Amino acid sequence: MGEAIALIRKEGVSKALEGIRVLDLTQWLQGPVCAQFLADFGAEVIHIERPVTGDGARGVRSIKALPVGDWNQYFLVINRNKKSIAIDLKKAAGRALLCDLAAKADVFLSNFPIDVLRGLGLTYEKLSEINPGLVYATNTGYGHAVEVNRPSYDINVQALTGIMTRQGEPGQPPIYLGMGSGDTYGGIMSALGILLALHQRRRTGRGQYIDASLYGAQLFMGAPTLQPFLASRNPFYARQQSRKNARNPLWNRYRAKDKWLFLCAENDDENWSKLCGSLDAPDTAGDARFASPQSRAENHVALVEALDSAVAKKPAQEWLERWRAAGLAASPIQNLKELSEDPQAWENEYLMKTHCNEVGREVEIRGLPVTLSKTPGSVETLGPELGQDTEILLMEALEMEWDRIEELKAEGVIP
Amino acid sequence: MSKALDELVVVEICSEFFASLCGAMLGDFGARVIRIDDRSNPRSVDHDRDGMHPPERWNALDELAHRNKQSLALDLGKPAGREIFDKLIATADVFLTDLPFAEQAARGLDYDALREHKRDIIFARGSGFGPNGPDRDLPAIDELAAARTGVMPTLVQPGEPPVYTGAGQMQTTVMLAFGIMTALHHREESGEGQIVDASLLGGNMYSQSLDMQAYLAMKDDRFLEPVSRLDAGNPMSGPMYPSADGPWVTLAMPDTDKYWPTFAEVVGLDVDDPRFDDHEKRCGENRLEMMQVLDELFAKQPGSHWQKLLAEKQLPADVIQTYDYPVEDPTAKANRYILDLEHPSLGSIQSLGFPIYMSEAPARLRRLAPTVGQHSAEILQEHLGYSDAEIESFEQDGTI
Repeated sequence: MGEAIALIRKEGVSKALEGIRVLDLTQWLQGPVCAQFLADFGAEVIHIERPVTGDGARGVRSIKALPVGDWNQYFLVINRNKKSIAIDLKKAAGRALLCDLAAKADVFLSNFPIDVLRGLGLTYEKLSEINPGLVYATNTGYGHAVEVNRPSYDINVQALTGIMTRQGEPGQPPIYLGMGSGDTYGGIMSALGILLALHQRRRTGRGQYIDASLYGAQLFMGAPTLQPFLASRNPFYARQQSRKNARNPLWNRYRAKDKWLFLCAENDDENWSKLCGSLDAPDTAGDARFASPQSRAENHVALVEALDSAVAKKPAQEWLERWRAAGLAASPIQNLKELSEDPQAWENEYLMKTHCNEVGREVEIRGLPVTLSKTPGSVETLGPELGQDTEILLMEALEMEWDRIEELKAEGVIP
Repeated sequence: MSKALDELVVVEICSEFFASLCGAMLGDFGARVIRIDDRSNPRSVDHDRDGMHPPERWNALDELAHRNKQSLALDLGKPAGREIFDKLIATADVFLTDLPFAEQAARGLDYDALREHKRDIIFARGSGFGPNGPDRDLPAIDELAAARTGVMPTLVQPGEPPVYTGAGQMQTTVMLAFGIMTALHHREESGEGQIVDASLLGGNMYSQSLDMQAYLAMKDDRFLEPVSRLDAGNPMSGPMYPSADGPWVTLAMPDTDKYWPTFAEVVGLDVDDPRFDDHEKRCGENRLEMMQVLDELFAKQPGSHWQKLLAEKQLPADVIQTYDYPVEDPTAKANRYILDLEHPSLGSIQSLGFPIYMSEAPARLRRLAPTVGQHSAEILQEHLGYSDAEIESFEQDGTI
């Protein structure tokens, strides 16, 4: 089994999505991440950008909302393995060029607002008439059914779902689940939708319209608590819950002398006796209030307190060794530095190293979270230079003569 | 209307929520998903193991994780049960499991064993920590994976305990389905099956990937400690401010120059206030002062006031809602992100719906989550061609 899934890295290994051509008219995060998943597995993804400035994410440094560093890791990582073509879609000839490309593509993907796409004449109706087999995918803010005229940044949409208000200790501010947490989720949803539509196309010969929105993805992201809330309307699921009030104290976060730990044990007598055997806390172990699963649940506040004081006495590593030996599941709660040194992340290629032209050195990037044994994903290149593939794509995909390319340049349709 | 995954057969042995839900998503789009309910894989959502799911009149997570599936209760320990299972695998396109490697091998449920019965099977595994590495055998529990991924200590305010959100496992669910579809695409082209693995560790890492990538690029210790909400890099992008009656306001205006004139008017600041009249001042020398000022200004009016005003002015800023908001939101229903259902025994209830829209093959709720063994006889008869007499004897000896 271990051998069977060991990653294959040899010349000539085939790519799962080889031969799929994706027009990636996207910007910032959700759309580019969607296309990145397809590109990682070998699809030919063409990032379509406006001349001169390109995808807004190329200029991410100027907005100062995000730390970037000396290379533009924001843009370059999510646009890896892609080609770039620069076209001025404000010009009719530019839009015609995009339609010509759509005739030769399998997928059109955009996270531009629907009214912008309409203004450019790049609607589903229009493109599917040109190419009935085309899968036309949008990443809207709030779904395809209703046009919602409001900004759809990740955090705005997350704010509406209710998931933020549910996190953390009572009385604390709501918690944003992390920069781009909803964008990346919408991105993988969209990539799944595209593959579903391509699968169906094998039978029907026809493409279709798919949408995966930030709102839909982020509501689904709340499932572990939103779904029980929908069913019960029990406010327990909608409000912050204190760790001090965990009804199963054996499944909780505890602070050891030096750092936090997550203990994950079901509240049964076997686990309780294993835990007691490790604790060096005879008073707690012998406390009648904690003698049965029912009494531990009833006296959970007192038990969390007792475990808090016992766990605080020794360093995390010692508890982890004791609990592992006792057969109790537990993990250190790491920070990003510890994650960046975690062999588990590297050996599965969830983290990778690759060459970055922008700074001329090897850099560390987020890698491949989906492992396929025979057709693994790969990172061949980081994000492209703006418009680097414009001419060659026009010649290869559209069989355009150089004279025509010169004309388009003279008209300012392409740089 | 046709279905995206018409004729696709998925056989599932899963106990964790995130892996079971992957099967349900394939079912939503038309796959025939046959869940093996065996004593060895209890439905994890059936009990309140983490103490965070008080029992309800309806097990909502079970309903979500197992909708659009059929249940075959099968004793895999009996030779006859194993024979039925092998026949079923021979008809399957995908085997979906969250069994640990050791258990797969011990029970003959690993890739090599299943390939004996279906050469081109897609063997999909939802794992805790991936197929490789020293911790590949750790159990697939989301909390253990989330703890490893670096942001639990920093999503909170300084001094607060690390937070577990549960969102990372939701990434893994969709990644696993994406991996299965990618492998199916390759199988259609090449005739070759393979192993797919998506882990809770990988899903949790992607869920926080911008923060993680920023750390990887900069290796700066400031990413390792929580930052106070009133110490953000940009007072108009990221921080949250409480309103007079409780609800918090969040701002997402990274390009502050673009929004400043309207925003200043909304909060009642002078556009020409010399402390804040350009981006450099707002995000540089006077950012801390600006956050203090905004904190006081937002606290003067209730949430409803801000909600109305921010929407009127089309500013990317919102009042942070509770789950009561999507429940009533017509947009969530129009897109079928939230469904109103008539349940045969419970009456009108709501459930999460379908996050992906497909114009020619919309996801549908074809069946509610099955009871254990609800479809045993039907699957044996219609899908595998056993006779009534054989089925009766399997029932009598406890094979099914």
